[in-house]
Amino acid sequence: MQSQILTWITFLPLLGMAVILFLPKTAMTAIKGVSVVATFIAMVLATKLYFVDFAHKSVAEIEASRGAGDILGAQFVQKIDWISSIGVQYYIGVDGLSVALVWLTTVLLFVGVIASFGMEKAGKAYYALLLLLQVGIGGVFVSLDLFLFYVFWEVMLLPMYFLIGIWGGPRREYAAIKFFLYTLAGSVLMLVAIVALRLDSGTFSIPALTELAVSGKLTGASLPAAGKLLGMQFSTWVFWFLFIGFAIKVPVFPFHTWLPDAHVEAPTPISVILAGILLKLGGYGMLRACFPLAPDAFHDSAFILGVLGVISIVYGAFVALGQSDFKKMVAYSSVSHMGYVLLGMAAFTVWGMEGAVLQMFNHGTSSAALFLIVGVIYDRAHHRDLNGFGGLSQLMPRYWALTTLGFFAALGLPGLAGFISEAMTLIGAFQANDTRFQVLVLLSTLGIVFTAAFLLYAMQRVFLGKKNPKYEGIEEISFRELFCQAPFLALCIVFGILPYLLLDWMHPSVQNLLNILKIQG
Amino acid sequence: MNNAYLDGLASIAPEIVLTVTALGALVLDLVAKGRDSVRVGYLTLAGLAATAWFLFGQWGEPSHTVYGMVAIDQFGNFFKLFSTAALAIVVLFVMHDRNERRHGVGEYYFLLVGALIGIFFMVSTSNLLLMVLGFELLSLSSYSLSGFHKGNRKSAEASMKYVIFGGLSTGIMVYGISLLYGLTGTIDLAKMAGSANLIAQVTSNPIPFGIATVLILAGFAYKISLAPFHFWTPDVYEGAPTPVTAFLAVASKAAGFGALLRFLGALFLDAEGTPLGGYGSRVGTMLALLAAVTMTLGNLAALRQPSLKRMLAYSSIAHAGYVMIGIACMTRGGFTAAMYYLAAYYFMNLGAFGFLVYFEGVTGSDTVDSLKGMGFKAPLISMVMVAFLVSLTGLPPTVGFYGKYLLFVEGVDNGLMWLVVVAALNSVVSLFYYLRVARALFLSKASDREAAPAPVLTGFVAVLGVATVAFGLYVTPLQDWATKSLDLIRSATGS
Repeated sequence: MQSQILTWITFLPLLGMAVILFLPKTAMTAIKGVSVVATFIAMVLATKLYFVDFAHKSVAEIEASRGAGDILGAQFVQKIDWISSIGVQYYIGVDGLSVALVWLTTVLLFVGVIASFGMEKAGKAYYALLLLLQVGIGGVFVSLDLFLFYVFWEVMLLPMYFLIGIWGGPRREYAAIKFFLYTLAGSVLMLVAIVALRLDSGTFSIPALTELAVSGKLTGASLPAAGKLLGMQFSTWVFWFLFIGFAIKVPVFPFHTWLPDAHVEAPTPISVILAGILLKLGGYGMLRACFPLAPDAFHDSAFILGVLGVISIVYGAFVALGQSDFKKMVAYSSVSHMGYVLLGMAAFTVWGMEGAVLQMFNHGTSSAALFLIVGVIYDRAHHRDLNGFGGLSQLMPRYWALTTLGFFAALGLPGLAGFISEAMTLIGAFQANDTRFQVLVLLSTLGIVFTAAFLLYAMQRVFLGKKNPKYEGIEEISFRELFCQAPFLALCIVFGILPYLLLDWMHPSVQNLLNILKIQG
Repeated sequence: MNNAYLDGLASIAPEIVLTVTALGALVLDLVAKGRDSVRVGYLTLAGLAATAWFLFGQWGEPSHTVYGMVAIDQFGNFFKLFSTAALAIVVLFVMHDRNERRHGVGEYYFLLVGALIGIFFMVSTSNLLLMVLGFELLSLSSYSLSGFHKGNRKSAEASMKYVIFGGLSTGIMVYGISLLYGLTGTIDLAKMAGSANLIAQVTSNPIPFGIATVLILAGFAYKISLAPFHFWTPDVYEGAPTPVTAFLAVASKAAGFGALLRFLGALFLDAEGTPLGGYGSRVGTMLALLAAVTMTLGNLAALRQPSLKRMLAYSSIAHAGYVMIGIACMTRGGFTAAMYYLAAYYFMNLGAFGFLVYFEGVTGSDTVDSLKGMGFKAPLISMVMVAFLVSLTGLPPTVGFYGKYLLFVEGVDNGLMWLVVVAALNSVVSLFYYLRVARALFLSKASDREAAPAPVLTGFVAVLGVATVAFGLYVTPLQDWATKSLDLIRSATGS
């Protein structure tokens, strides 16, 4: 019954980190080797878990297990008492929502390690922190205990702070502290909400809490003053505290301002991980530990969430249009793309919700590819000014081809992955049986136009036009760089043509989640 | 009678051992004519070890009192053991402080042990008179200790400020005690709580009792530097020699909390339904307000401190505010959470001060800027410092996080939700200045300065760092201990 596979996937990097700490500083080959091996094994295990071992339960099967305290139909569950005095358990497992993200985490971190080989400054501490970061991220995706979830959530902050702060660009100190402060501000609010939930329900288990919440038993009744805070109902403020915590991570407008700074200053591999997987923690957190724990408040505020989503979509794309820094442009495009996730979730339809989860995954691959693309050019030219290039298509044709593919994936060209998920969220939102959401969909099409505009405009400035003589003889993309980008671009194509490879896995869980949330709504 | 007398003596064996140690330190220093202070340090350590041994000897023993004056119980033991361990570490700091003279510092140890004796009596009596005596013994030793660098103007100023503030606040406290004595006819807290006089008095006219309580609390607030009685803290902490600052910020402050817990516990805890209980919840509200003001002021002031020492002083004010969340609950659970947080506070703050002692020795300065790039020169102690900073901020997986979590739980459970939110936001503010240290250590360019290794000091700080993380992952023993200690609190009723 108790499966240990998730523990291995989560903690293998920690093992790798421990080994690295005992290696001498000068043994860089060994350090890199250990990092590659640790992340590679984790990736292999996760791949096997995802494509082979993960059982496709039907919705009916998941719902059948509801009575047994397993409302999510989680698999590979492991449950051990951790802090018995307050009922904290080491309780992990995956369902259709998280399993793809666990897999994506391992892929991204493996590529992240390989992409770091180009960084000369990256030493022993860098790889150790990178592996620690993977523990934090992977842990969040598998946690089914809120306390454990929170611990992992915080564990990844410190490595990220140092990774940006030590190995980042010129304004790295500012960017690193800003990232840390924003995330912590969100997470302390989360902690307060978690404490209140635990006191009201007596449990940290996410499935149990979900069960209580959807049957209307999580109302703060057992707290002093019925759990009200500043006149707000218990479920209302709990919802908003959790939501803000996750929204900062996504990031949703107006909590997004840390993102461009962090992205611009972070070294390429860290940007890749940040955009590829860290942002998904926010969206995943909402689906796992925010909406199901306060379903009433979620339904009440769905429209506000939709509006925030649309603002993120349009505003992110519009600001990206005005950027002259290549990386900053990609960073703002992340804000825009993650807006679809929020819009899709808020719409509360099967298409919207599934589109949102799919969009998270697809943005993970396409944004990772984009940041790697930026990294390639930055390593050669040592600047990222979009206006400072020109005519690169003649000098680096292979690189140009890859970039084109990445750009088209990001702007949602049919046939590539981004198209499916964006279309699904929009259709889902349009189906919401609510005129207001239909207006929102209309507005968000503006974002699509802006996205196409800023990507094509960037393409034109960097790759087309007159050859810039300064970059005559610039080196074509290397094999290692190609090796890093290939998997992401391949995934963009594969999931663009065969989206069911992802959808089939997540559909039962998404449907189950919708069914659960509907009980109240 | 004779037997009872001997029993009493046996019960205060730890205190007697300490007294002998203090005198021994003084005599040894005299005999050596102040030439070999290191030996005095070892003697002190041996004395502290013996004290700890006697304290462990009282572990399983049923609690009892010494003629109604001293209560030997698990609650007192909790604070005594932590204070003894803290002092042992402080003594090690003194011995490894490169800014300290090697010789002629024998009185240092004498005064430190004297302060510890004061702490022992403070936390183990419900007799207000003895409590004040313990208080004063601690204070007098602390005054001299903070002015120990005689040639140093800052040190002298610190000592002067400390004396004036301390004298004033003791006066206020004793005045409050005299009022209480007048109302009840006893100076023993346990008798007072059950006194029919007091209950009648509170029912008919609660004002005198209220005034007395407020005055006594003011005295405590000074000792644990709650706003608005915190003004002395930054100056004294900055001027005093760093090991002394560590002692004041950790052991002395925690002892103040111990005495406060006993005072509030004896009078108000488990008094629900009685007039005194109703009064307790009002005291709780007042303390909650003080807590909010204290943590906010402490954190905001710490933001702009160039000196690490001063920053730690303000941060210790903020932490006093966090502990007050638990106390303001006025419940057993709240008090337990406060005790757990104090235990956490011992580990992380002593560690942070150990780091400071080391780097003052290296750079000769206590500013955060002087640490720039030193993280690469002394990686172990710097990494451990990051663990302390994380714990002080209250992030998992550290003892500070779990302590804060427990405080939050009790706060929410007792209707102090607003205070919990204030504390949570305060944690975010505190992150900013704690990370300044991490930033200076690791994010700045490596410095040219070499950091001479100090293996013993680094080793001890590393042990504290391991404890900070280990007790954050495996919290049960510490939590059980805190709970049990509070359960086994015993009031000296003179039997």
